[in-house]
Amino acid sequence: MSQTSGPAVAIRGVTKTFGAHTAVRDLSLTVPRGAVYGFIGPNGSGKTTTLRMIMHILHPDSGEIEVLGEHSIRAANDRVGYLPEERGLYKSMTVRDVLQFYAGLKGLRRPRPAIDQWLERMELTAWAGKKVQALSKGMAQKVQFIAAVVSQPELVLLDEPFSGLDPVNLEVLRAAVLDLRRDGMTVIFSTHEMNVAERMCDSIFMIYRGNKVLDGTLDSIQSAYGSDTLRVRLNGEGRVPANLPGVQKLTDFGHYQELRLADGVDSQSVLAALMARGRVLHFELARPSLHDIFVRIAAPETEARDHA
Amino acid sequence: MPKAFVIALREYNAAVKTRAFLISLVVFPVLICGAVFMQWMLKDQVDTSEKRFAVIDRTPHEKLAATLAAASEAWNKTGGRDASGRQTRPTFVIERVAPSGDSPEAIAQQRFDLSERVRQGTLFGFVEIGGRVFDLPDAAHVPPGLSDAEDDVATALPTGDDRLAIRYQSSSPNYEAFRKWARPVINQAIRESRYAAESLPADKVRAAMQRVPLLTKGLTQRNPATGQFDEARDENPILSFLVPGGLLMLMFMLILLGSTPLMQGVVEEKMQRIAEVLLGSVRPFDLMLGKLLGLVGVSVTLAAVYLSGAYWAARHYGYADLVSIEVLAWFLVYLVLGVLMYGSLFVAVGAACTDLRETQAMLWPVMFLAMIPMFVWFNVVKEPNSAFSTVASFMPNATPMLMLVRVAVPPGVAWWQPALGALSVLAATVVCVYAAGRIFRVGLLLQGKSATPRELVRWIFQG
Repeated sequence: MSQTSGPAVAIRGVTKTFGAHTAVRDLSLTVPRGAVYGFIGPNGSGKTTTLRMIMHILHPDSGEIEVLGEHSIRAANDRVGYLPEERGLYKSMTVRDVLQFYAGLKGLRRPRPAIDQWLERMELTAWAGKKVQALSKGMAQKVQFIAAVVSQPELVLLDEPFSGLDPVNLEVLRAAVLDLRRDGMTVIFSTHEMNVAERMCDSIFMIYRGNKVLDGTLDSIQSAYGSDTLRVRLNGEGRVPANLPGVQKLTDFGHYQELRLADGVDSQSVLAALMARGRVLHFELARPSLHDIFVRIAAPETEARDHA
Repeated sequence: MPKAFVIALREYNAAVKTRAFLISLVVFPVLICGAVFMQWMLKDQVDTSEKRFAVIDRTPHEKLAATLAAASEAWNKTGGRDASGRQTRPTFVIERVAPSGDSPEAIAQQRFDLSERVRQGTLFGFVEIGGRVFDLPDAAHVPPGLSDAEDDVATALPTGDDRLAIRYQSSSPNYEAFRKWARPVINQAIRESRYAAESLPADKVRAAMQRVPLLTKGLTQRNPATGQFDEARDENPILSFLVPGGLLMLMFMLILLGSTPLMQGVVEEKMQRIAEVLLGSVRPFDLMLGKLLGLVGVSVTLAAVYLSGAYWAARHYGYADLVSIEVLAWFLVYLVLGVLMYGSLFVAVGAACTDLRETQAMLWPVMFLAMIPMFVWFNVVKEPNSAFSTVASFMPNATPMLMLVRVAVPPGVAWWQPALGALSVLAATVVCVYAAGRIFRVGLLLQGKSATPRELVRWIFQG
């Protein structure tokens, strides 16, 4: 018996190992219905393993996973759409046939109208009768996306949906994902694009070396890291010196520099030091970006080395 | 529609709606017909060049060498030619060579000299007729009956006494034409001489020795319409081999023709990461079951095409009653079971490998199991109810082919045997599908390296 209330996904104390390698360790996570949830983390950190476990493609060694209120294996699969990291389409089939096949696997009886609608929306109508092998990478990715959502699932899992896309196709896909949320679907996607995650996600979950290191809204995550970041622009070709007292890390973005303050350092003292070196055009006390937080977690050793 | 059927439908369409399928559909009968046609075309393509043989006749007066030389002249004029006078057989030139002395050294020297000439190419071979071939053999060494078989005659020869035999030496031991021609010529002359020596009337002995023909017939039946006994039909031994052999070959071909692309498809799905998408929608077991059902559909389609064509041809030439409905029914049952059993093993191999090259190494045990019936089917056709045939036909890997052969050879076997065989294959199929399903489930997501045999066993028993 399926449930319509409760979280879309509830993961409780899940661990998954491959031989001696622990891919996911004692993970607990709750994804509310109707949310867009971003999974971030470095390569090999456990994102895909987590997604595969939610899809019941892999089974956890311990712990339990509840999907759309279902505990039993695969009971909810027809209500879940899945786009894997590696695109998997039969190259010798036509676009329409492959979409009908995947829709049939999800139990959709008359998929033709929905397929046509999606093809039109993705500007692929002219390619419906063409074989998959004739498609460009971006087009194949959009076809794979349609395959994941054409059955109107309640939950959609997208593993790296935006990787390798040109800006136009990325925008098309991004808009489609946001429309899914508007239609009431829950969307979980993994990504390396921090700006995409910042702009699209209601909540963000970061996994690092199999451990959950972040989970919450962007606001709550940034708040947890405090306002320890300064964005500064100096006059002319002026650059902030790397050894400025009280600055733990300096990142140069060209037009401006981002400074992370050491614990207990007063931003005004840094401002005074900067003014002593030249004219300050821009000075902003900001919260760290997701990119910055990601790097702080995923590359602390590198950071320490850079700082030294 | 159950998901396994969605998979099966795609597999079926992917296999059948292709140019390659249509080509393979035509190629097989073309190859078979081509092979038969070539055999027919080449049956008269024999070496007709002249061949020279030396003959040493150690009998008194050397009459047999003279007889052989005269027979060769007659053969060269008319015997080796067809009705139009065209030469269709080789001509033989007989060169009489005076026998050496009787000492072993002299005999060995002469044999060596002639062997040298064979090596140099001036002779094709040489015949040495023993000095005592006219002697009646010891009755104790004559086998009962009148067998002319080479082995039986050789058995009657006292060990090591060449004087009672005809020796033929050549560097081409497989060349039979001269031996087949010379042997009856010399033997007939020896027999005639023996009749004369024993004062037996040659013409009467020849008549007495004339063999009585053995007519091979089917069973006599009573015509249900007239109540009369119908004359039993002549049995054609070639046809009685052809039907079970043809069905066995068809079964073997259908299993391999379908299973091999299925295995390649699994590897392709792994390599192109399609498997992960599929596993997001169906259970691994359903996925494999769907593939196997698709394979069954393809095999039954192929069988229907070939058997319909064969039936049409048989009916056209008056042999429609050679294959009964019962045999066809068992063919279908065993085809489905065989395809499921072997197909599951092929699928497991595909799931355990990461590219097509690796499947070749892992496939050979499966191929060996499938090939066993091909090694023994001839014995089974000859004696379908022997203990060997019965036991062999109950080995599950061989049952679909060998039990079918036993059913197809008249008069067939008791009904319970193919039924029991089908049950044993069904049990083996369930085990294979289960084990393959376990391997498939784990192997499908395996990337980078193929599974080792130890890992396969672990996957089956531990998952």
